[in-house]
Amino acid sequence: MTASDYLDLFIKALLLAGIYAAMAVGMTVIYGVMKIVNLAHAGFLMLGAYFAYELYERFHIDPVLGAVLALPAFFLFGIGVHAVLIRWLPKSDTPTLASLLLMFGFWLVLQNLGYLIWGNEESSILMPRTFASLHIGEITIPKVSLIVFGAAVISLIVLQIIFNRSWFGRAMRSLIQNPYAAQIVGVDDRRTSRLSFGLGTAFAGFAGALLSMLYSFNPDFGRPFLLRSFVIIVLGGLESVSGVALGAVVLALLETFSVQVLPASYQPAISFALLVLVLLVMPKGIAGLLQRKRRVA
Amino acid sequence: MKKVLCSVGTYRHCGVARALLVIGFLAFLGGSKPATAADDAITIGIVMPTTGREAKPGQYQKEGVELAIKQLNDQGGIFVREKGKKLPIKEIFYDNGSDSAKAAALVERVMSSDHVTAVIGGYSTALAEAESVMPDRYQTPWLTGGAAATSIYSRGYKYIFGCLSPIALLGSTTAEFLGGLVDQGKLKKGLKVALVVENTDHGVDYVNGVQDWISKHSGYFTVVLSEKFELGGTDFSGLLQKVKTAKADIFLSDAHLQDYITMQRQYLQAGLHHQVISYGARGPEADARKALGAGTDYILAALWWSDKLPYPQVQKFVADYKAMFNRGPDSWYAATAYDAMRILAQSIEAAGSTNGSKIRDALAKAQLKEALIPGGVLKFGSNGQAGYPFLVTQNQPGDKVEIVYPKDAATGSAVAPIP
Amino acid sequence: MPLNRSMRLLLPWLLFALLLALPLTDPSSNTVRLLFTTAVWIISSIAWNLLGGLTGQVSFGFAVFYGLGAYTTALMINSGRNPFFAFLGGMGIAVLASFLVGLPTFRLRGPYFAIATIGVGEATRVIMNNLDITGGASGYRIIERTPFRQLEHYYTAVIVVAIALAVSALVVHSKFGLALRAIKQDQEAAADLGVDPYISKLWVHAIAAGLTGIAGGIYARYHAFIYPGDVFAFPTSISILLMPVIGGIGTVWGPVLGGVIFGMVEETLTVKFPNTHLLLYGLLLILIILFEPDGLVGLLRRLSALIKARRSREDSGSNGTDEVLRRRSRVEGR
Repeated sequence: MTASDYLDLFIKALLLAGIYAAMAVGMTVIYGVMKIVNLAHAGFLMLGAYFAYELYERFHIDPVLGAVLALPAFFLFGIGVHAVLIRWLPKSDTPTLASLLLMFGFWLVLQNLGYLIWGNEESSILMPRTFASLHIGEITIPKVSLIVFGAAVISLIVLQIIFNRSWFGRAMRSLIQNPYAAQIVGVDDRRTSRLSFGLGTAFAGFAGALLSMLYSFNPDFGRPFLLRSFVIIVLGGLESVSGVALGAVVLALLETFSVQVLPASYQPAISFALLVLVLLVMPKGIAGLLQRKRRVA
Repeated sequence: MKKVLCSVGTYRHCGVARALLVIGFLAFLGGSKPATAADDAITIGIVMPTTGREAKPGQYQKEGVELAIKQLNDQGGIFVREKGKKLPIKEIFYDNGSDSAKAAALVERVMSSDHVTAVIGGYSTALAEAESVMPDRYQTPWLTGGAAATSIYSRGYKYIFGCLSPIALLGSTTAEFLGGLVDQGKLKKGLKVALVVENTDHGVDYVNGVQDWISKHSGYFTVVLSEKFELGGTDFSGLLQKVKTAKADIFLSDAHLQDYITMQRQYLQAGLHHQVISYGARGPEADARKALGAGTDYILAALWWSDKLPYPQVQKFVADYKAMFNRGPDSWYAATAYDAMRILAQSIEAAGSTNGSKIRDALAKAQLKEALIPGGVLKFGSNGQAGYPFLVTQNQPGDKVEIVYPKDAATGSAVAPIP
Repeated sequence: MPLNRSMRLLLPWLLFALLLALPLTDPSSNTVRLLFTTAVWIISSIAWNLLGGLTGQVSFGFAVFYGLGAYTTALMINSGRNPFFAFLGGMGIAVLASFLVGLPTFRLRGPYFAIATIGVGEATRVIMNNLDITGGASGYRIIERTPFRQLEHYYTAVIVVAIALAVSALVVHSKFGLALRAIKQDQEAAADLGVDPYISKLWVHAIAAGLTGIAGGIYARYHAFIYPGDVFAFPTSISILLMPVIGGIGTVWGPVLGGVIFGMVEETLTVKFPNTHLLLYGLLLILIILFEPDGLVGLLRRLSALIKARRSREDSGSNGTDEVLRRRSRVEGR
């Protein structure tokens, strides 16, 4: 491989990291604040993709705009789901089986609704943009990947701002650090949890809508992304936004470059072996290592 | 665990809720009574995936079988000599969710509990492998229009019959066709081939078929890359980079629909180009066309059937299918399932009975004339698998699909190398 | 349950006898198949419950042991060994694997352990997908020269369920079980009291893995075809842990009830509702989690407590104030 091949691959990996970061962000918010492992995340991604698809097919709305519209739509949807289902779960500072299985059941429900509404077609969005690529010398950058990357970066920045600058963000962060202490100092944990779940769902829908430009999808969509999201938030440190970015980059680089030296079929094993290794060596993830976060009690 | 819902709200509501829950469970448990075999109808079990990864092809196969059943029932059914009259066909359908354990369990259920006369199932290979254990156990014939890996048929099972030609032949037909292009002067000799296949029986058989032909015909092609990838991939950049590095002239892949779409999309975005591209048995699928548009142009596919075949029975089938389902049959899926049902019906009639082993014997000797598949005749080899020539189609610009091989079925000529 | 002591001890034996005698009633092969499948699920359910329910270590990677048991049994049967030894072989390999997995991962706590087990599970699946000796992604087939006798498989499964139940009861009622429960409640406090959490976890993991390995082996022999996408898959791990939760985590009979529901209800749903079975199954899970997180056993316990309370109220003539006060305090005490 020539140097420009390496650069090309590196850029592809970064673009992939953008995709991964976008999809993992939603799961991180929900996990961090409520310690819920949201297995229905795949279902939200799927719904986001179909949301963009329907807007495009019926109203010829660009999927990027569709993704932006998905944010408020899915925010409300998330709040609704919280009110109906999540609210009843017992609070805990570690993930519970109950929450996990509840979301798993909800995911099954979402899948079936998907099949009933859209059937088992492979749907996709085809636009002139789909195959357009920027050519910089020998390097090709697909336009859609660039757009998704940009959207991912923006959403991470927005989330970081929310976390650091708003009262809501501060409330979220306090719940992330210690839910009991947070309540003592007056954080309304029910309201914050509700809004956090809405936020996490909003980002999931957003990511799903973006993904509709990159992949074909059916109601079963989201499965490979689910486990990858997991790896990312573990790599990143389970509870931080910048961690997601780091985790996404590491995973994407690993996946893209390991194929050069290994048979491609072994590649997922590497990702998961990495997951285990990171957990053993630095359980707080790479971000934890860098920031030396200290949990309160 | 802490209590959830019932600690708020009144006591009475909770009691009712709990009682309902228990009643609901018991109702489900009690509801698993087996169906008794109907004496005045021939029951055919259809076990196909209509949800999960293989949902789309499974749906088409189911529809192919149902079209055949409807047409037979319109004529009163199948004449069974034993009963002295025509018996209508009743279908019992189970969705196996693209899960092999479920597929095997449901096939076993439909044979042992619903006592069907025969089962049509087995899309795709892994599910077929799991299901193929059951027919001999329950002496119920099992046919598939959807699984072609030869390993299924090499176990000595007597009750399984496959209507698809072996995949190894698919691979070697592709290679042979390319060899033909070289002979015609469209391609140069000694071109390099990159093989990127899915990590399944299907992919392995395909590679073997291609390699087999190449090694028997030296000087035509050399294989410079042979890689397998996991199903359901999200990103093939690394793999495609390997393909680029290998500097091959021909790109041969074998993949399922989702991976075909994803890989081809990323292939085009990466700006790759080869003289020939093929995705095994995928190519002209409507969903792929919708997803990739002109990006599917010039892709070759070696198929078990195409709606462009110039046989009158094929045109009739396509018209009937459209009439019943409001859309055309996609790719080859429905056609082979349709033929499977027809040869089954023919064998039941030939056996004159609904007895499994008699039907089995009839199937072993059966010959379906006016079959939809290339060659027009469907019959099974001694191992239960059919063998008939493959077609090679090429997607051509303007949403066209042409059959480019073999000559006697060709509707157009191949464009190679790809411009 | 409102039964006296001797009834409670007798009931399992009665059930066992009934199951053994079932073939005398000439059941359909479908019934036998359903019971067999349920039995296999019950074994792995009981096994997982020992580690997850009793000791509180939630593992998402039990498919590893299931699959290893399946493949080992398959390989051994194909090389001519007696199935009995093949099952033991499956168990042995699974136990070995449990140490390989447990030694590093039990140093992790809570969610980190759970996530690590996901990683191990998926990595194992991918590796097995590429291992040519065992057929890789194409799977592996068992060829048995003896004809298929369904009842033989049935009896094997029923006997192993009885063994698993006995092991589970033994563990739960022993000092070891007490230690495990202590670890679940508070690992540090348990350590202070003299329990070695690390070693205890390794041992219960081994027992659980061994039982799951046998379950996998039994499954493999019946189905005669296994491949990594089935026995090593993440959904299989989820199924295994679903059952104890549905039935009643931490109890002895909860996993059994959960296995029954999973084995019978899931298939019934698929069969009766081909278009909506996912929806119904998901709703069922949601309802169970929301209404009765202690699973069916919890439900039954509450019902029996209800009956008892009603009876005592009739006797003593109170108007249920006690009950209301009790519920009030439970709500407040959350």
